[in-house]
Amino acid sequence: MFNKIKREWLLLAAFVALALPPLRQFLEQSMVTHMLVQIPILAIIGWMIGKSLPANWKNKIASWNQWGITGMALAIVIMTYWMLPRALDAAISEWYFELIKFITIFIMGMSLSLSWPLLHPIAQGVFKLEFWATFMRLGWLYLDLPDRLCANYLLSDQRILGQLLLLGGSAWAIAWVFRIMFGTKIINT
Amino acid sequence: MRTFLATTLIVIAGLLILWISTDGGRAYTVEEARRLEVRENPRPIPNWRLQNQDSEMIALHDFRNQFIVIDFFYTSCPSVCLILGSSLKELQKDFSSELEKNNLKLISISFDPEKDTPQKLREYLSHFSANLKYWMAARPTSSSQKEAILDFFKVIVIPDEYGGYTHSAGYHVIDRTGRLVAIFGIEQLNELKEYLTQSLNKEHVQQD
Repeated sequence: MFNKIKREWLLLAAFVALALPPLRQFLEQSMVTHMLVQIPILAIIGWMIGKSLPANWKNKIASWNQWGITGMALAIVIMTYWMLPRALDAAISEWYFELIKFITIFIMGMSLSLSWPLLHPIAQGVFKLEFWATFMRLGWLYLDLPDRLCANYLLSDQRILGQLLLLGGSAWAIAWVFRIMFGTKIINT
Repeated sequence: MRTFLATTLIVIAGLLILWISTDGGRAYTVEEARRLEVRENPRPIPNWRLQNQDSEMIALHDFRNQFIVIDFFYTSCPSVCLILGSSLKELQKDFSSELEKNNLKLISISFDPEKDTPQKLREYLSHFSANLKYWMAARPTSSSQKEAILDFFKVIVIPDEYGGYTHSAGYHVIDRTGRLVAIFGIEQLNELKEYLTQSLNKEHVQQD
């Protein structure tokens, strides 16, 4: 019990640290750290908090969330919204969009953690493939676009992000291939 | 049943939010949004007083009854401002008769007023063989004024990795009544010309 409470406090502290100016401004200086560090960490914090919710809360939520459908819908809406270049720019220039970002990304992580285990394995497979395809599509798009998508970020930043997305997507694909061909589990996906 | 209800609600609310926040699927980036906003709601420009290349003070309302094309730049800009500059040069040639009749003015506003002295502005203009009667360069007189101007036009300027700036680049059109009525991207020079030709002609017809 003690350990569990302690972990939640740590997660909360991490959330607050991300929201405070030094770390927030540092991570938002570049499109790469904004999208590949800050947002994923916020989602992971949400995911972990979601995991450690009391069982009776989970049961209550689950009755609204059969097969994880509601939670996945919510997560996808939030994800789509923050993929709009406008939304990311707004988060940098307006404090209330920033606040909404911190809250909704956290909720996204939480709803993923509550819904993913309930999803049918085939649906899980489809989502994984779709996430992977989004990585590759965005990576290719960022690398190829001659113009900046975000007014607050440099074109060179956008290109690096594109490369990293393609690289990450490729690594993921290779991990899958290994798993299918040799049964080696490099990462748990 | 509960799941069905909750999911339907989330999907509908989500689509609505996405629809609203992209102006009905028409603007996905800040740049698209500011162009769209100006087209739909032209806004009157404040009467800022700027210092031009001859160290004279000019006020934007001095050019009432003319169309103005404004671009934002800084003189040490290595890339995009050069395209803007040569495009204005093209406008100066193509619209020479309108410029001569005082129906149109070209103004380049620097957002780096500390470095861009009147001397620098003059050099910049002469680099593009600007006719100073038709095309002037100007700088804000204080940093608060600079911020107000950038804010009004929604031009975002960020420092780049070479000690310069990256910025929203475009042509901002002010009509005869002093309203910002259109913004064209750097790639839309032809659309800008068409727009100017049409607007200037329309006004003539009305005058006749």
